[in-house]
Amino acid sequence: MTDADTLAGLKRLNNTYQMFHAFTADTDPGDAVFLFSAKDNLTSKDFETCCGSRILEGYRPVFDATAIANLRRAGGKLIGKTNMDEFGFGTFSTNSAFGVPKNPFDRERSCGGSSGGSACAAAILDGHVSLGVSTGGSVCCPASFCGVYGLVPTYGRVSRYGLIDYGNSLDKIGLLARDPAKLKQYLPVIAGKDPHDPTSACQPPLELKGAKIRSVAVPQEAVEGISTDVKNAFENGLETLRSLDVDVEYVDVPELRYAMPAYYILATSEASTNLARYCGMRYGRQDGDYTLGFDAYFSSFRTDYFGDEAKRRILLGTYTRMEGFRDRYYAKALQVRMDVIDAYKRIFAGHDAVLTPTMPFVSPKFADISQMSAVETYKTDFLTVPPNLAGTPHLNCPCGYNAAGLPVGMQFVTDHWQEDKLVTMAAEWNKIFNVRVPEVKA
Amino acid sequence: MKIGLEVHVQLPTKSKMFCSCPTTDAPAPNTHVCPTCLGMPGSRPVLNRQVLVYGIMLAKMLNCTIADTTWFSRKTYFYPDMSKSVQITQYDHPIGIKGVYYLNGRKPIRITRIHLEEDPGKTKRTADMSSLVDYNRSGIPLAEIVTEPDLATPAEAREFLTQLVTDIKHTIDLPESGERSIRCDCNISVGKERCEVKNVTGLKNAERALTYEMVRQVKVLKAGGKIDRETRAFDETRGVTYSVRKKEMESDYGYIDEPDLGIFHVGKFAENIKIKESPLNMTLRLAKQYSIDEAKAKQLVATSTDLAALFEELAQATDIPTALTWSTSTVTANWKAFAARQIPTAGIIDAVKKLHAGKITDTECTLELKSYMTGQSAAATQAASADLDTLIGKYLDEHPEILADCKKNVRAANRVIGYIITQTGGSYSSAEVVASVNGAIRKRL
Amino acid sequence: MGAPVVRATSMDRDIVAKVAKTAHLTLTDAELDRYSRDLREILDYFRVLDEAPNHTGVGVNPVEIADVLRDDVPRQEFSSEDLLKDMKTYKNYIRGPKLS
Repeated sequence: MTDADTLAGLKRLNNTYQMFHAFTADTDPGDAVFLFSAKDNLTSKDFETCCGSRILEGYRPVFDATAIANLRRAGGKLIGKTNMDEFGFGTFSTNSAFGVPKNPFDRERSCGGSSGGSACAAAILDGHVSLGVSTGGSVCCPASFCGVYGLVPTYGRVSRYGLIDYGNSLDKIGLLARDPAKLKQYLPVIAGKDPHDPTSACQPPLELKGAKIRSVAVPQEAVEGISTDVKNAFENGLETLRSLDVDVEYVDVPELRYAMPAYYILATSEASTNLARYCGMRYGRQDGDYTLGFDAYFSSFRTDYFGDEAKRRILLGTYTRMEGFRDRYYAKALQVRMDVIDAYKRIFAGHDAVLTPTMPFVSPKFADISQMSAVETYKTDFLTVPPNLAGTPHLNCPCGYNAAGLPVGMQFVTDHWQEDKLVTMAAEWNKIFNVRVPEVKA
Repeated sequence: MKIGLEVHVQLPTKSKMFCSCPTTDAPAPNTHVCPTCLGMPGSRPVLNRQVLVYGIMLAKMLNCTIADTTWFSRKTYFYPDMSKSVQITQYDHPIGIKGVYYLNGRKPIRITRIHLEEDPGKTKRTADMSSLVDYNRSGIPLAEIVTEPDLATPAEAREFLTQLVTDIKHTIDLPESGERSIRCDCNISVGKERCEVKNVTGLKNAERALTYEMVRQVKVLKAGGKIDRETRAFDETRGVTYSVRKKEMESDYGYIDEPDLGIFHVGKFAENIKIKESPLNMTLRLAKQYSIDEAKAKQLVATSTDLAALFEELAQATDIPTALTWSTSTVTANWKAFAARQIPTAGIIDAVKKLHAGKITDTECTLELKSYMTGQSAAATQAASADLDTLIGKYLDEHPEILADCKKNVRAANRVIGYIITQTGGSYSSAEVVASVNGAIRKRL
Repeated sequence: MGAPVVRATSMDRDIVAKVAKTAHLTLTDAELDRYSRDLREILDYFRVLDEAPNHTGVGVNPVEIADVLRDDVPRQEFSSEDLLKDMKTYKNYIRGPKLS
């Protein structure tokens, strides 16, 4: 499929899969070297940027996110902004105000979240690369459900300038693609220090020299409570790795069980402050009644335009940082994050990577998702959350398909700044593993 | 009565605290703004180095303990002037804590903390009762200085603020117009419970607000009432304070760390930041260290702290009486011209040293200093000086009673000074005339 | 900074109501019930944190971000017209709600 074909088919595909919030009407790629898409929480001058939220409808940023600007500079054409859970709040991309992206392998099922639209585009479009954003698993989860590679670099590797914040100490911009060569090709383009983002300024140089993963540690805790089809595919994956001369060792990492609550506390505490700015002034929707007193105005506006999950996380995050609770929750979570980082460092002293399945099950049906409680949904992130909390780079590799043909993914985690090993692993893995291309429905 | 102050000082940086928008007067509302200070989604703060420098300077001026590591916090509250609904401020790791500042060099006022934060924008009301916001001020850097309740009266609070503002101006080169930008929250308790008068602008208003509040609290207590702990505002026009509904409680701010900026090793950074001694501290130190009259010390410092520093050098090179005599006479008289020329002080020190060693006379020293400091040729200086000295000598000859009066009262010299200034019509600086007249009288006595 | 009057252990409706007010969200009675239940479940799950060891490090970011500073040089990248183009304004002021 040529780039022109891709552009010509966008509208039709989007009707079926709803992976875009906004996309180009151009049918001519012009002098574009490649096409890419970006999650709709990255600002772009030529597309409205809404983060899946009604409250931001009409926001036309005056600047491109650095990652988008860098890809454009490298000859990329941004073809659309991908659909997502509102502000990244979700595991299934079902919390968007602008439709729900459908899984390319089964449209009754979720793409995963919150970068669901990006994973869907990466799975469906030939030679495509999509920018996703991960706070607690939002790249690897959808990559796993849609059967594509998903790479999340170290916290601070890619500038967050232009990223609309969920949790500033957790958010990381990553890449999703069916072809792992794209990860190696575009990571250096989006990585690097940016004077607009202090957290990008302390990184060591990115060097992709082909460093290999020779040994992996599999935390015992990670293979408990996962579905049989995932377990089977994962164990087959381990076998394949052994055949590639990779040492596999099971380890105990008790600190991992603290990662989930610590993550949700930090993420929602930060999110509730980030979302305080959405008050119906200056950008997005501004159609409230200004003759109301400011407290009443802000309250009514926020109540009208935030979705259900956004409200839940705002409430949770406001609570966990409130005086009287702050020490027990927020301050403690900061300490636990350091415990988890220390635990990772101990493992990395003896192993190149930590390996787990990415998600405890294959993509669920929308009908089942709607039955899940909030806490049940949160708990499904228990494998993707630890590296996200620790800011360590990680990779989803498709590693198998269940009987119904639904993809299963495994997740490699390396030490801070060691993206090289992940990129090399993806390339090696791709030589022996056949990533399936979903059959696109019209 | 106990009074404690929270003083907000706008720091005189060229650009804002977290973005590069200029801090100068803007041509119109919302023209010195950008995505960061407007709180646009996707924007990000980057800290201005100079804000840390000024913060450290003020922390040193207030004799605070400077933190090894400092970082910023987010204070969340909802008001139209705060573009992010989050103020980036410092909460549990401020730049400086536990300082002490001496009022008049004597009474210690304990400083609880000094922290850095961003200013919000400005709001105004409209006829249709909505608001209009100008974010030009949004993101201007502020230092907040918090004192313990160590001030005893409203007058003392004003005295403290006046001295503090003078010292701040001197330490961080705050422009003259900076005074209006000093805002304070004033805490005052006459009995047990305290009230806070928020956001009072200017020194005079702080005293007015505190005085009103003192009288009000005394009246309430005398009438058998009790003071409610509350936040009040000050109406500048009517000169009264009034109770305001508090926008939010401290417990609602929900402080968290600001993750976008990282941490700052200010302890190390501070080692390389030196501050100028404040004029008051310098005056007190000179008087004590050199056993000189405080008025003389004040005169030196008031002319210029550089002159006072030169006095110290002269005292080293010669002796204290010689240094004092010359630095308060001829050197003071020609200081303006000297300062404008931006030349080294070595020439002055050399001349006084020669005099001290007996190599030149008083008159020769005066001439050499004048010539060096003003840049006039020695001959021209001598001629002008001779003219001036001749004029003074002639007048003193004609009025011998002046010398007699001078023995009783030094002010008698003013008559000569007045006459000479009128006669010469501004060809000599008044300082020069004063120095010459005093010199001539000294010689004759 | 007085201690809050709310109890720190349970997630009852009163606390959720107070939190919602602070966060500027208006909840119906049904929503209050639902969010109280959800938050109670979530906080129950968070209890495991109480057993976690303490740590003495500085935890602002997961990797060290230190001493990143900008020079004090004024510069404007965007024009005021561009920034204000989609805003509700009056004579270059930005419109907002009533102040009290």
